[in-house]
Amino acid sequence: MDVVVIILTVSALVFFFATTVGLLRFPDFYSRMHAAGKGDTLSSLIMLMALVFYNFHEFNLANLLVSMKILLIAVFIFMASPTATHAIIDAGYESDIEPWTKKPEEES
Amino acid sequence: MQSIISDYNYWIYILLMMIGLYAMLAKNNLVKKVIGMSIFQTAIIVFYVSIGAKEDASIPIIAHGPGHGAVEAAIDVAHYANPLPHVLMLTAIVVSVGTLGVALAICLGIHRRYKSLEEDEIQEQL
Amino acid sequence: MIWQLDLSILSLIVVCAFATIMVKDLLSAAIIFGAYSFLMCLLWTELGAVDVAFTEASVGAGVSTVLFIAAVHQTSRIVKPRKSGRMLSKAVGLVAALLMGLVLVIAEADFPGFASPFSPASLHLSPYYITQTLHDTNVPNIVTSVLADYRGFDTMFETAVIFTAGLAVIAILRRYKRDDSTEIPESYTISEGYPDTIIRFVARQLVPFIQLFALYVVAHGHHSPGGGFQGGVILGASFILLAISFDTRMIIGLMSEKSNILLGNIGVLIYAGIGFLCLLLGANFLDYSILSKVLPATDKIMARSHGMLGIEIGVAIAVMAIVISIYINIISHGKYDKG
Repeated sequence: MDVVVIILTVSALVFFFATTVGLLRFPDFYSRMHAAGKGDTLSSLIMLMALVFYNFHEFNLANLLVSMKILLIAVFIFMASPTATHAIIDAGYESDIEPWTKKPEEES
Repeated sequence: MQSIISDYNYWIYILLMMIGLYAMLAKNNLVKKVIGMSIFQTAIIVFYVSIGAKEDASIPIIAHGPGHGAVEAAIDVAHYANPLPHVLMLTAIVVSVGTLGVALAICLGIHRRYKSLEEDEIQEQL
Repeated sequence: MIWQLDLSILSLIVVCAFATIMVKDLLSAAIIFGAYSFLMCLLWTELGAVDVAFTEASVGAGVSTVLFIAAVHQTSRIVKPRKSGRMLSKAVGLVAALLMGLVLVIAEADFPGFASPFSPASLHLSPYYITQTLHDTNVPNIVTSVLADYRGFDTMFETAVIFTAGLAVIAILRRYKRDDSTEIPESYTISEGYPDTIIRFVARQLVPFIQLFALYVVAHGHHSPGGGFQGGVILGASFILLAISFDTRMIIGLMSEKSNILLGNIGVLIYAGIGFLCLLLGANFLDYSILSKVLPATDKIMARSHGMLGIEIGVAIAVMAIVISIYINIISHGKYDKG
């Protein structure tokens, strides 16, 4: 059980790191929001799964209830976080932010 | 070195309070001043809460089994964090949100009357 | 209480505080303020203050940020630099802040060490609360029992303060259709209520669960972090979510100004009314143990627990109504027609 928790936590941290790198390095508002929205949701979900498995150290009813509640929080995040990303990108689209196009005369 | 390890957090709270005070005094924009006031209030709250913290103490909810039967075991005082500053700071947070609402309403009223949120432009029109 | 985690969160908080006041754009300052509030909430959870962290998460990182963004939406978004006397004002501010900081640092030498169990704050009164709260009131959450029972007057006047703040916002901002002599300046708007299907659908699905969770927080405040304030703010925030995703006019249709003020009033009256009930039954004001005469089949200890639940409900109703009222007033500039 410990191994599962460690694997899940480390993978959540890896995805979070990738999200942050993407947030800093992408050239455009839309691609940055794409990285932030997806990576954020995914790493939060993996972290919560790690906590669910960590709770199963003692297998009694109270811990099972706590794990159920953590799963409910995960469902809520899965519904709310992509919607928030959609709202931010919509606001950007409405204020006419230009998408990044690759300029042919620049060497990147 | 011992005093730094045991006191560093107070210096950081004082730094936060001074950031809030500087924002209230020296910033031109009214909303920035309100943000400074909020930073000052939360810095004071974290100062109080840190007084109530204890080493290796758990949260101030007495441990009991599932359901409503409370366990009347021997309650060790050093095992629970001090709840009194938490109570006072709960009141402080709720009052601070009320104050924030009124401060922002005053900012809106000033903007409606003087068409600007900058302190020097308002003082010129006064 | 791990000091490495403490120090890292504190340094992030200081960076956020600097960024909030230095940024030139007011909308970014509001969002960084939201991040600052959330980091504060993490710090308090780590210090063991879960009730305070819960309140700050709902109030500071939620409602405060929304109020800031609403206020910025109504006024201008740009921060203009000072025209003259820039160095003077900065110098005065810095000197005052440094002097005050110096005074505080000198006073700080007398403070007890960080998180020692022998500090004077933890030695005199709080051991009584920690050891006696189960015996007196049968409520395991010590913060709730001190807030609602041992220090009940405090909480009553705090509810009155919230109500007064809502009244003050109405007094400052409310404009009726008749005296529309002053022209509202053009506010910085991105889009005038662009109806988006995804946001509306998800918001409409989530709001019942948010409200159910808020009621759970109010009712379960005796056994877990929670209580009246947190539940009331979450209830108000659910209405604000509806107002943001749909139009504010829909929320005004649901909770008109009259019903908002009425609900705020009822909340405070429930609190004071329970106190008066105790007075009428022959005990002191807000002494809940006398309620065992009115409630069926409870002894004096459980009557205190039920009395606490009653005033928590009153506080939740008052806080919800006032949070909705303040938001509606700020977002519609007092005119209640758009948002």
